Amino acid sequence: MTTAMMAPMPTTDSDLPIIEMVRPMPGFPDRRRFALVRLDPAGDLCSMTSLDEPDLRFLVVPPARFFPDYAPEVEDDVLADLEIESEEDVLLLVVLRAGSSLASTTANLAAPVLVNTATRRGGQIVLDQPGLPIAAPLTA
Amino acid sequence: MLVLSRRAGESVVLGEDITITVLEVRGDVVRVGIDAPRSLKVHRAELLEQLEQENRQAASPSEDVVANLTRALGDEPEG
Repeated sequence: MTTAMMAPMPTTDSDLPIIEMVRPMPGFPDRRRFALVRLDPAGDLCSMTSLDEPDLRFLVVPPARFFPDYAPEVEDDVLADLEIESEEDVLLLVVLRAGSSLASTTANLAAPVLVNTATRRGGQIVLDQPGLPIAAPLTA
Repeated sequence: MLVLSRRAGESVVLGEDITITVLEVRGDVVRVGIDAPRSLKVHRAELLEQLEQENRQAASPSEDVVANLTRALGDEPEG
């Protein structure tokens, strides 16, 4: 399936959705539970903060605004791990490496974060497909 | 580490349901075919290393950087 259709972002901080990374982020295999929090009510930048290690957080953002053609295909085993049954339940995010400015900020398109908003199961999915950069400039 | 010599066309079997076959050897490039259950994640080692490194670089940006980026993304027109 493709991830062209996406679930809406969490809208309020009071929601504080806790996601369980059933496919942990490479380099952080023991960090499984993260709080997904929208940082700016006007924007769509979110932080994923580890519940196991509060100093650890990642910036994530839905890619559609910056990479409108980005619709990665994922294998059935990913859908099974995340217990995804409907495309409408899938929230697609990319991990940002924040630079000192927007121009030096990059997004990881090679391994997006998928979240099943119905079950709160998530994972950073290693796509291993040609043409998907690990560090794509946000303002291309 | 177990070291085996294989020729093109020969295989090794891991466990019950994983077969790795040497398909072709040309110069210093070896093509291998991996036959494994779909649930087994198979990745190039260097890609995983790159992703680990990228995640470490991306992890825990400073408050200043986050504030800047939040502002910049809020200012950016939608679309």
